[in-house]
Amino acid sequence: MLDTTYNVETPEGIDLRARAAGPVPRILAYAVDVFYRSLILTAVGFALLFAGIAGDGIWLVCAFLLEWFYPVFFEVLRGGQTPGKKAFGLMVVNDNLTPISWGASFVRNLLRFADFLPFAYATGIISMTLGRHFQRLGDLAAATLVVYREEERAPVALPDTTPLPPPQNLRQQDQQAVVSLLERHQDLSEARQQELANLLEPITRKKGSDALSYLRSVGSWLLGGRG
Amino acid sequence: MQIKNLAVRARLRFPWESVDLGIALARKHWGKLFIAWLIPAAPLLALCYWLFPESPVLSILLIWWLKPVFDRLPLFMISRALFGSPESVRTALKHFFSVNRRDWFLGLTLRRLSPTRSFDMPITVLEQSTGRARTSRIGVLHRKHSGAATWLTLTLFHIETFLLIALSMLVFLFIPEQYVEGIEWIPLLQGDILWVKWLYFSLYLLVMAAVAPFYIVSGFCLYIGRRIELEGWDIEIQFRDLLERQQREQESRRRHIPGATTLIFLCSLIFGALIPSPSASAAPVETPQQAQEHIDEILADEDFHQVREISGWRKKEKPETEAAKEKIPEWLINFIEWLFENSKDKAEAEIDDEVKWGSTIAKILELLLWIGLVCSLGYLLWRHHEKILQSLKWQSKPKKIQPAPETLFGLDVRQSSLPDDVCAEVMRLWVEGDKRASLGLLYRATLSHLIEDFEFYFGDHLTESECAQLVQVRQQEPNEVQRPVSPALSQFVQELTANWQQLAYAHRPPKEAQVSSLCSQWQEEFGNDR
Repeated sequence: MLDTTYNVETPEGIDLRARAAGPVPRILAYAVDVFYRSLILTAVGFALLFAGIAGDGIWLVCAFLLEWFYPVFFEVLRGGQTPGKKAFGLMVVNDNLTPISWGASFVRNLLRFADFLPFAYATGIISMTLGRHFQRLGDLAAATLVVYREEERAPVALPDTTPLPPPQNLRQQDQQAVVSLLERHQDLSEARQQELANLLEPITRKKGSDALSYLRSVGSWLLGGRG
Repeated sequence: MQIKNLAVRARLRFPWESVDLGIALARKHWGKLFIAWLIPAAPLLALCYWLFPESPVLSILLIWWLKPVFDRLPLFMISRALFGSPESVRTALKHFFSVNRRDWFLGLTLRRLSPTRSFDMPITVLEQSTGRARTSRIGVLHRKHSGAATWLTLTLFHIETFLLIALSMLVFLFIPEQYVEGIEWIPLLQGDILWVKWLYFSLYLLVMAAVAPFYIVSGFCLYIGRRIELEGWDIEIQFRDLLERQQREQESRRRHIPGATTLIFLCSLIFGALIPSPSASAAPVETPQQAQEHIDEILADEDFHQVREISGWRKKEKPETEAAKEKIPEWLINFIEWLFENSKDKAEAEIDDEVKWGSTIAKILELLLWIGLVCSLGYLLWRHHEKILQSLKWQSKPKKIQPAPETLFGLDVRQSSLPDDVCAEVMRLWVEGDKRASLGLLYRATLSHLIEDFEFYFGDHLTESECAQLVQVRQQEPNEVQRPVSPALSQFVQELTANWQQLAYAHRPPKEAQVSSLCSQWQEEFGNDR
């Protein structure tokens, strides 16, 4: 089964799962960062107009610092998110899914130079596309990973049902499917929901809207509701 | 289309995740899709080259405009692959015209510049809906995913451009330096040379063919992601899975001999009747200790232990004594070299007026560095002076003048401790009967004079007779540095020593005449000194 998830098992036997982010959102996030950086540099440039040659020097120092340390600053101190990454819900983590450290952030950002070669981040793009977890060279060197940040989901409005205990032998995935059917009652068409519910007729011994309302009751029970 | 054959995990995805999944899927099937895209496109470019060799730009524009035509075949192939029946390039090529039959004209005119092209393509090619049905379908699908689809098109268009430039840069980087000078860039960059243009555009065709699979498959996965969301494919797959499992279990239950199950049932009933206590059915309750042991036992099992062999390079830890070996460290040598080089630069820099203050600071720094250098050299010399001296064979001579001992054999031999008139004191003590003190004083006075006047060195380790021997040796073999000893003195020392030994160790005092004779001899030898 092909998927873009990244799994880590901790020594305690807990499976951690993250969703690795691919080249397209990462390139766009980088573009956003470049936009912000050039905005800052333009502002600094105008502010330093009066300063003559010294202003040029200061501007160049600012450009250097922004180019190399803007990402490091945000990645380490702002939860792995530069403003661009934040806009796309991305974050950088170590490849064991711990928060990124100073060293790793420095390495992955200094190695942008290698990813840039021969021009316009061609190596980085190719490396991201070919890598199993969409890592560019800097990520591989620093053992880091760009993943989607888990956002808290807003609670969904559930239809009114009386909770009913589920049939036996439901595994965790089955239960999740039943709950998902309940939660997506607004996204899926009524006919499709009944069709899905009819699939389980040999187990539920019900058809059509009865089956659907029964499955919804079961889902409500699984979510913790008790009649 | 069998949903249960889906080759990717069906789950709810954000649009960007669907795009990522498309990248991963395209990577898996890239070779086939690349060939399937290139096989119709490359001959067309060759044909253009043959027909209109003068207009490469128009030719590549034609290819670029016909992209939707070339894109449909890879889409067809990936849809087959996604539902578990992948086709080879050869069989897929037979479908080239059939997939392009529908809506090709609209695709090449009105919808050519649509930013969501790859997302919409499956609706035309796979669902085969046209006209009003297609519009309403797109309306439903677009609601959440059109943004991602648009950005996908924009991003991959730019990636195509960047990759083309990067490839050209790569070619440029590989031109040897001596040839770079001879290249005339202006006609090359303006595109005046025809064959260079054709070469460049063939390169562009390759880049398009390489990027196209990612574009097509990403759009397709966006489409699939949207359908999973709209139609609950994940739920359907899970329900079908549950049903299948249930049926399998029932089947395996049916396969058991029914008699056996009844028998077991009966047995359990009988047991239940025989043993009245309800606790019999439950497992014996474990105490916490037993439970802990049980847990430890399970945790000791192999399932909970992974042995991994990791090999790699890491720095050896050397003992510090070795690290602190006396050697001029490398950095010092580098530093000195750097210093010499820099001092030249500084001289040049001084010429420049604007950086005068800079050179002043540099001078100060240079001075500080020189001081540091001298100090460290001095420290090194001091630290290793013994070794250096040894290596130069400059062994320092043992010191000539050693401090005269203050006491010998428990006797105070400083001249200051002697009375003014030694002989009178000796005789007075002798008469008083303190013979030991009397002769002791005489011996003491003799030694004292030998040490101070004749510069004898009597070490602590010598006995009285060894001291006497030293005097005899000097008398027999006089050296030029030290004051010679007369035979009479030598004779006197021998005699006195013998007498003193007799008294001190054997308690045999000499006769009074002997003592007075020794006194007079002493007076002769040393008495005139004062």
